[in-house]
Amino acid sequence: MDEILGEFIAETLETLETLSSEVVAWEADPTDQSRLDAFFRFFHTVKGSCGFLNLPRFERLAHGAEEALAAVRRGERSADPATVSAVLAVMDRIGALARDLGGDETIPESDDDALLDALLASTSRPETFEPAPETCDDILMPETADTRGYHAEAPEEAGPAHSKSGGRAPRTIRLPLALIDQLMSGISDMVLARNDLARRLRERPIEPELEGSFERLSANVADLRDMISKTRMQRVDRLYAALPRMVRDLSQELGKKATLDLDGGEVEMDREMIEMVLDPLTHIVRNALDHGIETPAERRAAGKPEVGALQIIARQSGNQIVIEVQDDGRGIDRAALVAKAITAKLLTPAEAAQISDTETLNLIFRAGLSTAARVTSISGRGVGMDVVRTNIEQIGGIITIASVPGRGTTITLRVPLTLTIIPGLIVRSDTHFFAIPRNNVVELLHQTSAMVSIEEVGGARIATIRGKRHAFIDLEEVLKLGRAKSVDGPRILMVIRSPAGQPYVLGVQAVESNEELVIRPAPPAVTAAGVFAGMTLPDNGQPMLLLDAAGLAHVAQLPLREAEASQRPAASVAETVAEPTMQALMFRERDGTHRLVPLAVVDRVEDITANEIALCGTAAFVRIEDRLVPALNAQPVDDGSLKSLRLNAGEEQLCYLIADVIDILDVPQAVDAAVAGGRLAGLVMVGETQIEMLDPFALFAEAHAQNAIARAGEPIRCLIPDEDDAWMRNILAPLLIQAGHEVQFGPVGEQDTAHVILRTDVDAAETGDDAGTIPVITLREDAVPTATARETVYRYDRAQIFAAIAQATRRVA
Amino acid sequence: MTESLFLFASIADVPIAVRASEVEAVVRLGDIVPIPLVQAHVRGLAALRSRVLTVIDMEARIFGKGGLDGSASLAIVADIAAHSYGFLVDSVSDICLAPEEAQPVHGRIDPVWAPYASGIVEREGRSHLLVTLSDFAVPPGNGTLAA
Repeated sequence: MDEILGEFIAETLETLETLSSEVVAWEADPTDQSRLDAFFRFFHTVKGSCGFLNLPRFERLAHGAEEALAAVRRGERSADPATVSAVLAVMDRIGALARDLGGDETIPESDDDALLDALLASTSRPETFEPAPETCDDILMPETADTRGYHAEAPEEAGPAHSKSGGRAPRTIRLPLALIDQLMSGISDMVLARNDLARRLRERPIEPELEGSFERLSANVADLRDMISKTRMQRVDRLYAALPRMVRDLSQELGKKATLDLDGGEVEMDREMIEMVLDPLTHIVRNALDHGIETPAERRAAGKPEVGALQIIARQSGNQIVIEVQDDGRGIDRAALVAKAITAKLLTPAEAAQISDTETLNLIFRAGLSTAARVTSISGRGVGMDVVRTNIEQIGGIITIASVPGRGTTITLRVPLTLTIIPGLIVRSDTHFFAIPRNNVVELLHQTSAMVSIEEVGGARIATIRGKRHAFIDLEEVLKLGRAKSVDGPRILMVIRSPAGQPYVLGVQAVESNEELVIRPAPPAVTAAGVFAGMTLPDNGQPMLLLDAAGLAHVAQLPLREAEASQRPAASVAETVAEPTMQALMFRERDGTHRLVPLAVVDRVEDITANEIALCGTAAFVRIEDRLVPALNAQPVDDGSLKSLRLNAGEEQLCYLIADVIDILDVPQAVDAAVAGGRLAGLVMVGETQIEMLDPFALFAEAHAQNAIARAGEPIRCLIPDEDDAWMRNILAPLLIQAGHEVQFGPVGEQDTAHVILRTDVDAAETGDDAGTIPVITLREDAVPTATARETVYRYDRAQIFAAIAQATRRVA
Repeated sequence: MTESLFLFASIADVPIAVRASEVEAVVRLGDIVPIPLVQAHVRGLAALRSRVLTVIDMEARIFGKGGLDGSASLAIVADIAAHSYGFLVDSVSDICLAPEEAQPVHGRIDPVWAPYASGIVEREGRSHLLVTLSDFAVPPGNGTLAA
């Protein structure tokens, strides 16, 4: 009898779970006869079983609901919300009573009357109480093939949109979970026994026949293990089962309208994983309804349909399950979020001004934050998304959020397919073995690899892999194991990604193997260490601990994700880049060394020919668009083609002359080794080399200083051969003198100390290019150069004249 | 007076009694894999068929240090809060019936034992301190054992 009762309870609860979503669908479409039939059959079955099992309370409740549904069936009443609510209340009570049958808590029977009254009150026509004759006929024989079939297939079709498929559903049986767990551990024992046997066989001389049988056994065991593993999988439908009902109840309570669209219910997930995801998902859906979806009035005002749309999509992506919860509500109010964060002292106003949009949205996952203007019974107590994130990350998942104001919010959960069997790497440190989830490992490298360089800066070790810098920790150091000196060989570096922080590099002595590991939770005494996520028994039979990537980073005190925002204020404000890394231009100096300059200050890169460079005393200029821009590195002006980096600081510009541009790279904002003084800010690790980073501040300061001393430098002696030319004498000479040059008059040859000769194109035509070693600047009268006048300067172009003078003197020096 | 089953063992030459309902088995463990970064009384992990036991050195737990040498391998196996543990003891003498109700501890007990001993169980005229295995499984400073 107990067995039958137990089965009754299990069946009733399971059917209830399936039906709760159907009720909502039925309310949406009261004409759907097949759904009505399903409920009817449920109450009918309960009523019948109760008679058989002598459970009068169940019978009375089921009868009441059945009556009401029969009336709807006959068209005597409609499936209005009141009726649906009353029917749901009765279903809940039956569920509660069924659960109580197992325990000893009791619900006072008088409460049932209130439910039944509600069922009656919502009935508009009292005559529906009359027992419907056709439903009473088979009360004593309910366990017909029909109802049995229904229950057996129930778990297979939990989706609300699913129509009944009669008896063609795959045959299923109900098994206690404990039995499956026992099967699982039995098969694990078998695998261990097989491994032990394999070891012993290896120690013996080879016997082909024995080996053959062993191989067969081995393959069978592996198959069996796979099959048993599959029994752990369940459809995501189970995750969905309770949602339609919840959405319905909540939206009624909140006075909102929302449709729920569930997709991907056929995706399979580990049973335990479903349990772990259920609460976070429920919370996210509640939030979406409470905060996301607006009231019908607000939605109308915003030009949206009155009914909000909530969509949940599950899909498998590799060995992950992706669950997306989308709403088309108002989106997340960033300003309110930031204001809350500042009030809660999670953020200073200065930090708030700098954080990115993603970081702003991620604030929602910080403890003690809720954007709900008021605390409702549904959500907004400030405990919520932080717990959701913690729960998801605990099972190795990732939660991300995207939100468009006014358009809605999408929250994406990515969780591993299964909690208990994960692919893992087994790493060794001397005699200790540890497992690490393969998901966390981005790549493996030999320490000796050419792509890797390791350096120590101020106690922190940094591994640079293909130009990316990572914090570097040794497993032995974090675990305080003490590195065995005798085994100091080349080590293996693992780039580790953890959900709670930036990637880092973990050094281990060796990576032994790659296995599918059955993970069990570790006891509190072990998890207290903070670096272990669980334990496992790999095929060698040696128990092993599973490393927790985030925990290792935490114990090693590596910066966590939360630190991103707090690091930012330390970054130089002068640099216009807001990210922790910035782009830098790598170039080749004219002496061949490679250097970096922050890309943000580089306005453009220009090809410069030598004659565009003007030297003026110790100062140098580059002529750009008839303007002289202070130039650094101008000397010597001998090679034909140069490049100029035009550095821009708002009003000021300067040209930094280089041999060539090499590449644009991401480099950290803070240099690795700061150098005080000079043009350099410090050293930055790029790939395997350290490269000097220019300090734009120093460059501009230098250019400024140069400008000031340009006049104080040694004057350029300009020779004007034709002292009788009035323009030369009266117009040009004063200008040159004003600019700090010396002017001499007289024929060429007598004034060998002159730096440059200035003459008109008329002189040039007469004397030809026989000025000897002294450079000559020929000035022409026409603004546009004529074909005959090569390399002439228009005489009213003051800047060009000065540039030409400066340039010409350079050639001599 | 009702009687129930107790397991009688000894730790650091102190006779103890454990309610048999707590005990799953007494086994001799194979290799114990040490665990870094945990408290000294968490000796390591041991495999028992396909299960992984967390091995707790009861003596180290009680006295805060020292404990059994590495060769100790006799363990009481128990499942506590869904985790399997092996509690190392010096020796196990018997499993037998004793009066259900533990006697109060008379006289001044060594303070290190105080958090663990909940009473005295008599067997063959000898007193045994009654201990609860789950007290040894929770990390010190947690729960009821705020010592």
